[in-house]
Amino acid sequence: MIRRVLFNLMAWAIVLAVAFPLFWMVVTSLKPQSELFRRPPTILPEVTTFEHYWRLLSETNFLTYFQNSVVLSVVTTVVVVSIATLGAYSIVRFKYWGRESLAFLVLFTYLLPSVVLIIPLYLMLVGLGLSNTIFSLVIAYTTFALPYALWLLRSFMAGIPEDLESAALVDGASRMGAFRDVILPQLLPGIISTALFTFILSWNEYLYALVLVNSDNTRPLTTGVMNMLISSFNVEWSLLMAASVMMSVPLIIVFAFLQSYLTRGFGAGGVKG
Amino acid sequence: MADVVFKNVHKKFGDFIAVEGLDLSIEEGEFVSLLGPSGCGKTTTLRMLAGLEFPSSGEISIGDRVVNDLPPGKRDIAMVFQSYALYPHMSVEKNIAYPLKKRGVPRSEQGPMIARVAEMLQLTPLLSRKPRQLSGGQQQRVALGRALVRDPKVFLLDEPLSNLDAKLRGIMRAELVELHQRLGRTMVYVTHDQLEAMTMSDRIAVMYDKKLQQFAPPQEVYREPANRFVAGFIGMPSMNLIDGDLSQEGDRWMFRSGSISVPVGPLVADARGGEACLGVRPENLLLGEGPTPAVVQLVERTGHENIVVVEIEGGLRMTGRVPASTDWKTGETIQMSIQSEAAHVFAAGPTGRRLNIASVAVRP
Amino acid sequence: MIKNKQTKLERHYATLGMMLIAPTVLVFCAVIVYPLVSAIYLSLFDIYTPTLQGEWVGLDNYRELLGKGEFWASLRTNLIWTVGTLSLQILFGIGMALVLHQNIWFRSLARSLILFPYFISTVVAVLVWRWLFNDLYGILNHLMMAAGLIDMPVDYLGSMPNAMISVILVGAWKYFPFVVIAVLARLQTIPDSLYEAARIDGAGPVARFFDITLPQLRDVLVVIIMLRAIWDFKEFDLIFLLTGGGPVTSTQTLPLLVYKEAFSLNNMGMAAAYAVAMMAVMLVFMILYIRKTGEKDA
Repeated sequence: MIRRVLFNLMAWAIVLAVAFPLFWMVVTSLKPQSELFRRPPTILPEVTTFEHYWRLLSETNFLTYFQNSVVLSVVTTVVVVSIATLGAYSIVRFKYWGRESLAFLVLFTYLLPSVVLIIPLYLMLVGLGLSNTIFSLVIAYTTFALPYALWLLRSFMAGIPEDLESAALVDGASRMGAFRDVILPQLLPGIISTALFTFILSWNEYLYALVLVNSDNTRPLTTGVMNMLISSFNVEWSLLMAASVMMSVPLIIVFAFLQSYLTRGFGAGGVKG
Repeated sequence: MADVVFKNVHKKFGDFIAVEGLDLSIEEGEFVSLLGPSGCGKTTTLRMLAGLEFPSSGEISIGDRVVNDLPPGKRDIAMVFQSYALYPHMSVEKNIAYPLKKRGVPRSEQGPMIARVAEMLQLTPLLSRKPRQLSGGQQQRVALGRALVRDPKVFLLDEPLSNLDAKLRGIMRAELVELHQRLGRTMVYVTHDQLEAMTMSDRIAVMYDKKLQQFAPPQEVYREPANRFVAGFIGMPSMNLIDGDLSQEGDRWMFRSGSISVPVGPLVADARGGEACLGVRPENLLLGEGPTPAVVQLVERTGHENIVVVEIEGGLRMTGRVPASTDWKTGETIQMSIQSEAAHVFAAGPTGRRLNIASVAVRP
Repeated sequence: MIKNKQTKLERHYATLGMMLIAPTVLVFCAVIVYPLVSAIYLSLFDIYTPTLQGEWVGLDNYRELLGKGEFWASLRTNLIWTVGTLSLQILFGIGMALVLHQNIWFRSLARSLILFPYFISTVVAVLVWRWLFNDLYGILNHLMMAAGLIDMPVDYLGSMPNAMISVILVGAWKYFPFVVIAVLARLQTIPDSLYEAARIDGAGPVARFFDITLPQLRDVLVVIIMLRAIWDFKEFDLIFLLTGGGPVTSTQTLPLLVYKEAFSLNNMGMAAAYAVAMMAVMLVFMILYIRKTGEKDA
């Protein structure tokens, strides 16, 4: 019994240590500027204030960045997941020449470093006159999101018994009819999981946003918030921590309500291959 | 009139051959089992008939139509899958309604049709449930219901009973037979279980190694197996197959193997001497009498009879069945003989053809 | 010889399958295959970024790159980073997975807390850690001084080897949850009967770990290590945002070198050559991983 308690205490000490930076982020964002420089530092804020959040929303470009990020991530997710769902169905359930090499190509690109593609992509998007648009980022994000989504969905699709589709065909459905009536409903958890991962990947992306967009109107959160750090004369940590918290809000929501979908995605794509 | 016809059908998956030169002609209203060990091509054959696999060459017809180019939904078939393949997100009612919906049956007509099938299969109280809320036997019925609801020309059943426990399997077997008699529809039934094939079928198509070995009524398959494979595959316990030598002595044929020497015949006209195989059903091995001494190796008591494994000089082991009243012990030496007029002769090789013309199964 | 004649239906299905994959293939060609090929092509040019004008220089870029110390130094830095952070991720990840596999209080809450670093943006992680690392007001210096571990505030990111150690630690903190989840999922599939059998045979907890748990984890660990090795090797955001490759170039890994060459020094062609060289190094891992995955599929 004592051993059990000790083990629990130890385990939770480690868990809390891992989570401490996040705790500190929230605490800092709620402290008045003056309390930040107190020695010794206060663990819980003496005075809780939301002034940084208010300033973030009213005095900075944060809302524009946030809006850009939402549009960018949602569009990327919708485009990528739609294309990948059809593609995964094709790769798993149809037979034609080149199908297997294609599956390997998907896996290969899934591992490809962004810095290899970024130079030609930059030249291509500048050439098309798309630089500095959210659309250019959608195009750039498909380079990592599409292979990723395809790989995940492929493994979800392979988990749906082939007999279900066969049964629908015998019952009189066409291939696309069987896809709509039987496969899509079965694939739905996988699609949700893939969409969440794609959304998170797009939400968090930094490098392409750094290279392809440099106007405040089109910047997503990652480069926007980072710019607040770099461009400010006097680093306001509370403000930055408030921005960090706000930036993580969508992830916290996903986490709170849809965690099972995230763990499922882990199993399907991350390790099972 | 032939209802289902395979004409020289081959199927290859890449380099792997799954079905080779299949010719099969099934009569209308017939219950036919495709029987064989796993990997023999029986399921591929059924899936080709369903339109779920495509023959590499040859022709398949249902009714008078060649169906090679028809999608499964246009072949006027229904199929029950081994895994049942119930649509998990649909209720039992929706599952059964799905084939009707896909064929454009008006909603007002669907209700009575579903009710009739549900009544027949005792599914009425379960109609609103989801498949995962049903037991294995109930799921099986739903799968049947989905096939029965629209009265197709041919029913295809792919090992539908293999996921049920032994008792339920027995009940369902009887129900399927009854169903077949009531509907009078052609049924093609894939199984690896010879008991199912023997008890339910009008004719059995025994398949092995990608090829059809024999296509005949159950009794004929049992009494006159077309080749050595069929002989060994059908029958529990299996037929004793003894490799030996066939020779002509005067006007009669003799089979010899070690200490065994049995007169056989009459044989087909083109039979040759040399390596051959003698087949003796356990019931045609006479234990307790005869010239050959044998040592009892194993006695299995099934209740109404005993299965006895004996070994004769030279290490050859044979299985016989005797009444439950016999009381031999392991290690005991008894006398035995082979009922030669009931023995079968096959050419050498795993599918060596049958050489004797007709044999009468004689029970002691 | 049997003639393989496709039925109409089979051809129809194949066509349908190709139509479904067509959008994928188109996008792939446009945004992945074409850029990949042109990256290799660009590496044979000398291009000035602002004007995008360039001339053909053949393999000169590669000759220069192999002769220059910076490539080799960055490769070395890259390997130190990868090996360092990967080993910590694996060790800590397995340990944490074993702990979370036990029935601890509020297990799902603990699991969420552990998972969170993996899902937050690298930008957020870096901001938080830079605040923790702050030399004047950072909590880390304060705690370490209060605990008597150090006398003077430490400059975590501005001097060596501190910068490398910090980067490796933050990398481990951010990415070890991946290992935790993967290992945890595998742990849950090890049948209890194995442990019961071992217990009956008199194996203690340590013996059970080495004789049962570890062999059972072997396959999944191989895959995790390869995958994480590839991902850590190509990591850009974390290092770029924490140290920018500094102090001077001491934490400048290959992806950072590519970025610097292309967008600070304005040598697009040379940058492409670096990128291609980096890919060549990674190709070994990638092929290993793809083969491993292929094996499992078969």
